[in-house]
Amino acid sequence: MFFQHYCWTAVSDPCHKEKELSLPCKLIVKAVLPVFRCANVLGRNVEKCSISTSPSDHHITFQLLCKHGVVKTYNLTFQECDPLQAVFAKHMCPNILKVHSRLLADVMIHFPTSQEEITLSVTPVKVCFKSYTEEDTDFSRTMVTEIHLSPEEFDYFQVGVDSEVTFCLKELRGLLAFSEATGVPVSIHFDRCGKPIAFSIEDVLLEASLILATLCEAQKEADSQERCCPQQWGSSETLPDKPSGDEPNSTDISKNPQRDGNAPTSPVAKQEVKSIPRVTGRDVTGRAGTPTAEAAGEATEAPYQKFHSLFFGAVSHKEKDATGHTFQSLATASDTEEDLGPLQSSPVL
Amino acid sequence: MPFSAPPPASGEPYVLSASLDNARHLSSLLRAVHFQDHATCFATASGLRVTVEDAKCIQANAFIQAEIFQEFAVQEESVMFRINLSVLLDCLTIFGTSSLPGTSTALRMCYRGYGYPLMLFLEEGGVVTVCKINTQEPEELLDFDFCSTKVVNKIILQSEGLREAFAELDMTSEVLQITMSPDKPYFRLSTFGNAGSAHLDYPRDSDLMEAFHCNQTQTNRYKISLLKPSTKALALSCKVSIRTDAQGFLSLQYMIRNEDGQICFVEYYCCPDENITEAEL
Repeated sequence: MFFQHYCWTAVSDPCHKEKELSLPCKLIVKAVLPVFRCANVLGRNVEKCSISTSPSDHHITFQLLCKHGVVKTYNLTFQECDPLQAVFAKHMCPNILKVHSRLLADVMIHFPTSQEEITLSVTPVKVCFKSYTEEDTDFSRTMVTEIHLSPEEFDYFQVGVDSEVTFCLKELRGLLAFSEATGVPVSIHFDRCGKPIAFSIEDVLLEASLILATLCEAQKEADSQERCCPQQWGSSETLPDKPSGDEPNSTDISKNPQRDGNAPTSPVAKQEVKSIPRVTGRDVTGRAGTPTAEAAGEATEAPYQKFHSLFFGAVSHKEKDATGHTFQSLATASDTEEDLGPLQSSPVL
Repeated sequence: MPFSAPPPASGEPYVLSASLDNARHLSSLLRAVHFQDHATCFATASGLRVTVEDAKCIQANAFIQAEIFQEFAVQEESVMFRINLSVLLDCLTIFGTSSLPGTSTALRMCYRGYGYPLMLFLEEGGVVTVCKINTQEPEELLDFDFCSTKVVNKIILQSEGLREAFAELDMTSEVLQITMSPDKPYFRLSTFGNAGSAHLDYPRDSDLMEAFHCNQTQTNRYKISLLKPSTKALALSCKVSIRTDAQGFLSLQYMIRNEDGQICFVEYYCCPDENITEAEL
């Protein structure tokens, strides 16, 4: 429906009968952009655009028929590729927000263009967008922005689980611009942090999805106790993931090469007290690399999250640990809690 | 308001003296050929010609006829000198480049002759600036020997049709290929860049086409880096004439209308890229 004329001729390849007869290919975006430069000029000058392919010599041809009989032909080479598919089930996300792109654009305008990552934090009564800052940011030189929205601002608002997800803002801006151009509202599907967040627009004519990985917020929440909702980190939530029968702490400690498997003595405990929140956060970040590299939370991460959350639970005394007693030696190190404040970037795993 | 010439020190008249109410009439044309630091100025009774060359392959000329000036006097048959064009432009635009309606910079230009600097007197709003720019020995200029009898193909196009095309040329392509033919594709500009090829076709019956005289199918390639500066002249012009001769030399002539509606010309000559003798379409 989007096209005036759409013709797909499957060229059967005798050697690859079992392969799907489609043409997965990729083009360099920088090569395609100049073809459609100056959208407003295009609207005035271009009467028709025809796109054709010739798979044999790996070309896609864009032909623009313009005013005054001028014809622009672009022959761009493409590469065949295996398309990537994000393993992500949108319909299983507990949190769904739907909003007009204008609102999101108005929110994003308040963040500096250099802002790489932002955090979206939701509760059933509030939505908050804030800038994400690294641990070691010099706050005296940083501007931190926070925008609070009420659920009424959204066309659709569903929050199944309170969460705080951090994702790359720069990549979202492109989709927002596209959405504004098409006038279609944006749907946001997400879960807890560490799980991907999906921004999508759907229309009769087109469908676009942007799936971004999110950072694990473990480290941030340990530092800012006031902001954290213990429920998220409750061992009640994370423990069930763990295979039953094992003592979480000892197993987790043993998984961590730097830690002593036994109940640590006080000095060691102190060291762990200091380094754990840092380590866990860093560890996850390190493994994730950039947020885009990370997919849905893996099982291997769970122990570190759990370990951290259990530890946090012990320190904050905000909840009961199901496997409490083995943590007591660690918990006794809570007298060094004040050391948690100004955490240094300790060299970790 | 034009100045009267300051009294000559030794009684020698200036070999070149000119007055212009609006220096922009000169500076905008000079900018259209400003792709090298140095230029050769050649003045005769009919006017001033400023030439810029590069790589012995490309030459641009800006013509400012005597009629454009309020006063234009050349004492000898011709006057020629080489000058730093960047400095000359900086001086001509010393009061700024923004063109507010009603304000203009008045110019008086004097040249005593060989060995003397070019003197510029510029005035705007009662403020006067005097500039003395050293002149140099003129260098030999290329002669493309491009006369109308040798022209094989000629097209005159309205500049608005080409402006966008030239501004968006794929600069990753080393060459700009120009095809002119009595048959399809009539007039085609092609580039061959990193991502692929791009072709821009203008049909002979397009309403942008003012004149179409193509006798022979010719395809020539020119180094794109040499032709890219001509975009400035194209931006100022209302019409452009594109001509090629039997050896593939290219002549681009731009008709430029200044603020007062007077017509000036800028032309670019370019040698075909020698590496390619027979270009494939």
